[in-house]
Amino acid sequence: MSDAVLQVRELVKHYPVRRGLLRRSVAAVKAVDGVSLTLERGRTLGLVGESGSGKSTLARMLVGIEAPTSGQVLVDGEDVSRLSRAGRKQLRRDVQMVFQDPYTSLNPRMSVGEIVGEPFAIHGIDPAGGRRAAVGELLELVGLDPDHASRYPHQFSGGQRQRVGIARALALRPKVLVCDEPVSALDVSVQGQVINLLEDLQDELGLSYLFVAHDLGVVRHIAHDVAVMYLGRLVEQGPETDVYDTAQHPYTQALLSAVPVPDPAVRLAAGPSTGAPTAQPGLLGGIVLEGDPPSPVDPPSGCPFHTRCWLAPTLPEARADGDGRAVPEVCVTDVPALAPRGAAAAHAVACHFARELVATGVEA
Amino acid sequence: MSAPSQAAAPQPVAEETPLLEVTDLAVEFRTAEGTVRAVDGLSYRVEAGRTLAIVGESGSGKSVSSLAVMGLLPPTARVTRGSARLAGTDLLALRPRQHRAYCGERVAMVFQDALAALNPVHTVGYQLTEALRARRGLSRADARARAIELLDLVKVPNARARVKEYPHQFSGGMRQRVMIASALAMDPEVLIADEPTTALDVTVQAQVLQLLAEIQAERRMGLVLITHDLGVVAGVADDVTVMYAGRAVEQAPVGPLYAAPAHPYTRALLRSIPSTAGADRGTRRRLPVIPGRPPSPAARPSGCPFHPRCDVAQDLCRTEVPPLTGPAPARLSACHFAADVLANRPPETGGTHE
Ligand SMILES: Nc1ncnc2c1ncn2[C@@H]1O[C@H](COP(=O)(O)OP(=O)(O)OP(=O)(O)O)[C@@H](O)[C@H]1O
Ligand SMILES: Nc1ncnc2c1ncn2[C@@H]1O[C@H](COP(=O)(O)OP(=O)(O)O)[C@@H](O)[C@H]1O
Ligand code: SF4
Ligand code: SF4
Ligand SMILES: [Mg+2]
Ligand SMILES: [Mg+2]
Repeated sequence: MSDAVLQVRELVKHYPVRRGLLRRSVAAVKAVDGVSLTLERGRTLGLVGESGSGKSTLARMLVGIEAPTSGQVLVDGEDVSRLSRAGRKQLRRDVQMVFQDPYTSLNPRMSVGEIVGEPFAIHGIDPAGGRRAAVGELLELVGLDPDHASRYPHQFSGGQRQRVGIARALALRPKVLVCDEPVSALDVSVQGQVINLLEDLQDELGLSYLFVAHDLGVVRHIAHDVAVMYLGRLVEQGPETDVYDTAQHPYTQALLSAVPVPDPAVRLAAGPSTGAPTAQPGLLGGIVLEGDPPSPVDPPSGCPFHTRCWLAPTLPEARADGDGRAVPEVCVTDVPALAPRGAAAAHAVACHFARELVATGVEA
Repeated sequence: MSAPSQAAAPQPVAEETPLLEVTDLAVEFRTAEGTVRAVDGLSYRVEAGRTLAIVGESGSGKSVSSLAVMGLLPPTARVTRGSARLAGTDLLALRPRQHRAYCGERVAMVFQDALAALNPVHTVGYQLTEALRARRGLSRADARARAIELLDLVKVPNARARVKEYPHQFSGGMRQRVMIASALAMDPEVLIADEPTTALDVTVQAQVLQLLAEIQAERRMGLVLITHDLGVVAGVADDVTVMYAGRAVEQAPVGPLYAAPAHPYTRALLRSIPSTAGADRGTRRRLPVIPGRPPSPAARPSGCPFHPRCDVAQDLCRTEVPPLTGPAPARLSACHFAADVLANRPPETGGTHE
């Protein structure tokens, strides 16, 4: 039996787009459009996707900063929306957030000690041994000097500020940390320090992480499982090795192939290179997608990826639609369900033709 | 090994005059806390048809040095040393007006934040040809035709209609294409691109990098690509300059640099990148990290500025500034123990300036 600490069922968030004098809602931004996922206890689920795909919106709903339009969030099997106010507050303590930008997410007028201890005040909790001692312990836990509790955020570097944010999130002994791009704003040399800290804390405290990032290398390093988001939906999900080594969704494949790899043997296709094409991910021999992700206000019908999919036009079923791009009709009419594919039962893909992908081995 | 054999590109004729040669550049800022040296003796060279990547962490001086070359430094900054020769002419010795005239025509720059660099109240077409109209006296009709040509060049779909649109109607990737088009308007010999893809998603970054590489190869332009992403460097650069604390700490052709770095900082950076290739799969071994953080220019360590973070630092490193010298042909490293680092053996204490 699986031990799910956090579950999300058919979660939806639509933001109304208002126009005119009466601020009438004329359309909706479908920021998150039916996402289901499970975070196992003590594990890390990585969430990747391009800008605007809905990662932060999903993260905010998980910690309760944002109310879902529909769908459920379950913490330890309990549906958050069905609890009383008090029950909800209690459950919310179990799921805490670490934000992307260590420069703006900390109140500049509060000392670091006040910032880290604030959750105690908010929840009216007096930790054993007193708040002061608890704050000192938390700072120590994240590798900061407890004597620096009286300093202010501007006196700390980006990496140190991110540690402050982590210490604060840990104050109420949560079960889950939702980390939204926690290392994106940091220099490479400092990024690794924070990633190592998060991994140590997980081992020490048995924490579970939902880790949002656009850096696929970072996610591969830290995550046990990975979910790929596109236009508010999950297009692929599974154990880290399955998603990275045998990606089956054309979008995941394109994403992986676009990641520049630190190996000069893998060169940019258009460059004056004579290096032989390789099957490795990277720019050379890579799939370069056309255009930008479409607007979530008016996402494409059927498969949301069909306007950029590199695979669809190559399929025998492809036929021209009005826009001049020939793709199989089913890609335009039917939303593909996220269904198990491939070797591992836990590996799920939302593509009508993912099976064929395996057969033809597009990887090469 | 010398993996990226650049057969199609011209071989670097060793003593061929480089297009752009920056020598011993130093830039200071006047700040409330006194004078800080943001760039402290930077040298690099770019040849026609080749791409030089400048890598470094934030604050290492990448942008400030480029702005100095372009004559675009803020009034609080001053070039205190060095030269920047474009085909022999020292740009830094020119009067400000001449300097700016030179740049824009022969050296152009693309900035990281395309939205901030574009004027929201003018159409994209207007901005693309502003300089052309001012400097070359193009008529409105000719300017519009040229703007469409430029947008076509950078593969903005439907250029004819889009020249009439405003920057906010363009996506991030399309805006960066507009910036590139605008930099190309005068047919520059050298293009300096400062983190041109840092704000973009990977799939869009791949498009923009591919476009830059195509244009560069076609025009045999010298390209200076500034980035902090060692993956991008490996994908597009011919030569690499690694910056730390306002200086170049290592310079080498891209293949040899990745195969065997000659500076401990480069070596540590390369080790610290989490890979998508899954080399550490299952094991979740700790990421090798560089302790501490990059120094601020106001508090630069004595001796080798990297010494507080270096895993092989010796006594000598705390007092003596290591010069940028060659431990091997075509290799430069500012480390007292460059030869040992290059050979991947522990430093011989005492240090030899080889
Ligand atoms: N409060 C809001 N009102 C209207 N639209 C919103 C709001 N918040 C987010 N959106 C829209 O919802 C979509 C998803 O946004 P979200 O911030 O979740 O993306 P993301 O995946 O986190 O992107 P990034 O990688 O840039 O952080 C975007 O189109 C965004 O513009
Ligand atoms: N206007 C300014 N006033 C004072 N210091 C500055 C200014 N601009 C940049 N600096 C300093 O110069 C150093 C180099 O900056 P920069 O070239 O922008 O770094 P990079 O582009 O490598 O991130 C940094 O320490 C930065 O703080
Ligand atoms: S369903 Fe069709 S359009 Fe969508 S990813 Fe699969 S092949 Fe491409
Ligand atoms: S000179 Fe010394 S401190 Fe500096 S990089 Fe070399 S070994 Fe390290
Ligand atoms: Mg976000
Ligand atoms: Mg910069």
